[in-house]
Amino acid sequence: METLVEEKRTHPMKTHAIPLRNAPPSQEKPAETDGKPKTPSLADEPIVLEVKDFKLWYGASQALHDINLKFPKGKVTALIGPSGCGKSTLIRCINRLNDLVDIIRIEGDMLLNGETIYSRNVDVIELRKRTGMVFQKTNPFPMSIYENVIYSLRIDGENRKKILDEIVERSLNRAALWDEVKDRLHDSALQLSGGQQQRLCIARAIAADPEVLLMDEPCSALDPIATAKIEELIYQLRGQYSVIIVTHNMQQAARVSDYTAFMYLGKVIEYDATEKIFTNPSKKQTEDYVTGRFG
Amino acid sequence: MERHFDQELDDLKQALLRMASIAEQNVAQALKALVQRDNSLAAKVDEEDNLLDALQIEIDDRAIKLLALRQPTARDLRLLTMAMKISTDLERIGDEAVNISHRAQELNQEPLLKPLVDIPRMAELAQSMIRDALDAFVYEKPDGAREIIQRDEKVDQLNHQLHRELTSFMVEDPHTITRCLNLMSVAHNLERIADHATNIAEEIVYLYEARDIRHQHE
Amino acid sequence: MVWLTGGGLVVATLMIMGLLLMVLINGTATFWPKPLKQVTTADGKQFLGEISRVETYRVATTALEGLSKEVAQKIRDNEMEAQRELLRTGNYDLYGDDFKWVSLHDVTKTETPDNVWMMERQEWGPFVGFIKEVRVDGKAVASTTDEVRAQFNELHGPARDRWREIRRLEKKDVGAINTELEQQRLNLRKVELKHGKESAEYKNAVDSFAKREAELTTNYEELEKKIKIIRAEDARYTLLLAEVGGREKEQKISEIVRGYPSNALSFGQQLGVYASRWWEFLTDEPREANTEGGVLPAIFGTVMMTLVMSLVVAPFGVIAALYLREYAKQGPLLSAVRIAVNNLAGVPSIVFGVFGLGFFCYVVGGTIDSIFYPEKLPTPTFGTGGILWASMTLALLTVPVVIVSTEEALAAVPSSMREGSYACGASKWQTIRRIVLPRAMPGVMTGLILAMARGAGEVAPLMITGVVKLAPELPVDGHAPFIHFARSFMHLGFHIFDVGFQSRNAEAGKPMVFTTTLLLIALIALLNLSAIYIRNRLKKRYVGAQF
Repeated sequence: METLVEEKRTHPMKTHAIPLRNAPPSQEKPAETDGKPKTPSLADEPIVLEVKDFKLWYGASQALHDINLKFPKGKVTALIGPSGCGKSTLIRCINRLNDLVDIIRIEGDMLLNGETIYSRNVDVIELRKRTGMVFQKTNPFPMSIYENVIYSLRIDGENRKKILDEIVERSLNRAALWDEVKDRLHDSALQLSGGQQQRLCIARAIAADPEVLLMDEPCSALDPIATAKIEELIYQLRGQYSVIIVTHNMQQAARVSDYTAFMYLGKVIEYDATEKIFTNPSKKQTEDYVTGRFG
Repeated sequence: MERHFDQELDDLKQALLRMASIAEQNVAQALKALVQRDNSLAAKVDEEDNLLDALQIEIDDRAIKLLALRQPTARDLRLLTMAMKISTDLERIGDEAVNISHRAQELNQEPLLKPLVDIPRMAELAQSMIRDALDAFVYEKPDGAREIIQRDEKVDQLNHQLHRELTSFMVEDPHTITRCLNLMSVAHNLERIADHATNIAEEIVYLYEARDIRHQHE
Repeated sequence: MVWLTGGGLVVATLMIMGLLLMVLINGTATFWPKPLKQVTTADGKQFLGEISRVETYRVATTALEGLSKEVAQKIRDNEMEAQRELLRTGNYDLYGDDFKWVSLHDVTKTETPDNVWMMERQEWGPFVGFIKEVRVDGKAVASTTDEVRAQFNELHGPARDRWREIRRLEKKDVGAINTELEQQRLNLRKVELKHGKESAEYKNAVDSFAKREAELTTNYEELEKKIKIIRAEDARYTLLLAEVGGREKEQKISEIVRGYPSNALSFGQQLGVYASRWWEFLTDEPREANTEGGVLPAIFGTVMMTLVMSLVVAPFGVIAALYLREYAKQGPLLSAVRIAVNNLAGVPSIVFGVFGLGFFCYVVGGTIDSIFYPEKLPTPTFGTGGILWASMTLALLTVPVVIVSTEEALAAVPSSMREGSYACGASKWQTIRRIVLPRAMPGVMTGLILAMARGAGEVAPLMITGVVKLAPELPVDGHAPFIHFARSFMHLGFHIFDVGFQSRNAEAGKPMVFTTTLLLIALIALLNLSAIYIRNRLKKRYVGAQF
């Protein structure tokens, strides 16, 4: 129940020191021995998010049918598929943004690091603090760059300047934006260019150390150079963060992700290592989609 | 802008260089086995060839993955496609070296027919062509590659010369036929190695200049 | 189509410009010192005054009989129409009238004598005539034109200072004594009501009251003495004035607010008179039933009322809009409420006035009176019109405007921004407070500007909830509690109505109407411009450059 007064919320796992919930960055080189580089395999990976028998209805029509997915920790997983396949709907269910839409009905569950998301007494606000989201349309808040980055911490009640300064620098560095804005942290965020704004939104999303980072078509509104920068950034985030990215640009999925799930009409058609999906997919539908023969 | 793709391309190039140096080594060893009449060296060449085969599979696999996942264009595209071709040529060179080593083992069972002059000379040329092709690849010198192509003529000449000499040997003394045929085979192998080196040179020119110069000197 | 729409815009703009120009021209011309004309008519009468205006009028056939043959003929040729001019002759105390119509065909001579004076007085309006003598202690010290002028200029300043001193003593100091006396009396009554006439507390209170009363009376008498001395001094300096017909009047110099020889002024001096009149208009109190003097109380009342109204309507309207847009469940009841709010904007303002009177004044004010001010009853404190109830009535009138524009502004906040905030783990209220409201602030300000503009111009509801023709005091003064919400106040809009159409002296009032209108328009424009400036600053801060 939301009240009109700002409450200090403390998530049990947060201690306002700067905990790193994810594993420290591992040395990232493609797996290489004297022989072929190893294809990543889902069976070997620790899981950050599990989707179990998930179904969703918009009013009377069913939009998601029996989704079962296991998203690996510390890797980038892409959701691809034609328009209307349900990928955006699915990702918005992970942080329960779809709760804001009245006509949606849900069955099934999701487990974030083993904890249920959809049971009755889950605090949605606390859940959302454990996830970060970047949207298609960049949405920097009408505040300074500094305030934008630490927004999640401010609403949690964190006001110690030293900690906030540190987090701002760290997040902006990780988002490859620090050098460009370090001299004007207190200028309005709305004066940044499109690509910079999106990187700011990414910095904002990772500032609170989310367990999973959700990206809903983050590059759709950007020019190719800004897109390339952000794709490189997403590649750098792996290891530190678990990323789930929805994209209608399958080449983008090929460039940045380790695992890819192909969805069609609300069902997961194929879910495997990206290498496999783009060189030798198992299902004909997947092959038709990635070769561009779809529709 | 730094791309992790550049790192992946670099790794591919390294694999190719390793393959080239192993192939060159194998040719040298096969010749040594022949000249020094050493069967143990010949056996080694066989072993090393397995490594070449594995490397070819690895390089082709990497290149296909990068083509599928990275949508390369321009020079990146030419690098990946030429890498696959070069790996094929290198693997063939390795196979020819294995053939030479087999011929050497057979020749070692009979006494030396005549002192080997032309064959070492052909081998020397072929090896230099491979080495120079490596250099041209590493130092991005397509002109160096062009220069290699001219040496192929000499190797062909030597091959013909040897062919005639050995034919007259065989006509004079039928007991020398086995040894002559083996030697002719070795010359043929070396001529093939030079041809593959020429192909590699042409592929390098295409990689760095986007110009297809195949079939022009025939 | 372009011509039609463009034409419509041009017509509208022309009308507005025309109105503004008319107000501007008439308003700014009012205070310019006009020359005094001495007019002699055919029957030998003389009139002296400023020419107010000239008009064409219908001559009655009977009036033709008194005229000469050629003049009468001319009039007949002109279809019985002739021209006449209106002279402001002043001297209401002597003539019984300030203005006189003189038909132009009657005029035989018009002169502009050098030594005529226009005297604006504290009472009875202006005096137009000659200064025969300047008297000190009853004896003449100047009688020629130049001497008179010099002496008058020398003595006038100190005389006015004395007048202001007396006024200050009366208003401030004596006023303070009276206020305290009244307060003590009320305290006594309070004790009486609380404890009863027989109680010990009451007896004690009576004693302390008597003591204090005695002290205050002594103070009062001292002040009276002081005032008497100044008055005595003041009475020494008088003028002997004569109007054009010869009748004389003795006038104390201190009673003359401003005097100048109309026809003997240089341009610089005319400008000086003009400027000083404007200054008086803006900073002084009215006199002569609002046809002269200044409108400071009205300016003050208008500004204060607008501010109080804005302070009430802003939070009220914004919170209501927030609830309608963000928290209420969408459904038929909500739509009904919204329709009701929109229609509220169309209700005639006088209806609001009646509601304000009935609810705020009688019900709420009456309750407050019976709880907090029982000692003053049956005189109402809050139970009657006052600046607080007037402001609240107007707030009610303008609240639909604020609600509608705030709702629009809230709806215009892109949902991507809200979702971004929710995704960061913010609650609904945090999102509204930190993201939605700041983003919507320019729109809210627009609504406020509209509300202020509407409210500042409404007059009808004010007439029954607290505006008066002449307020004895300002709602804000130096006595605690400093802001007196129960006091009546004056308002520029009402002032215009009163001066133009309710005053005894319509002709004198007309120029004041224009100047007051000009002032009111300027004031509202100023309020709007500052609000727009604030809004632009907010827009830059919160909305930024859109790509």
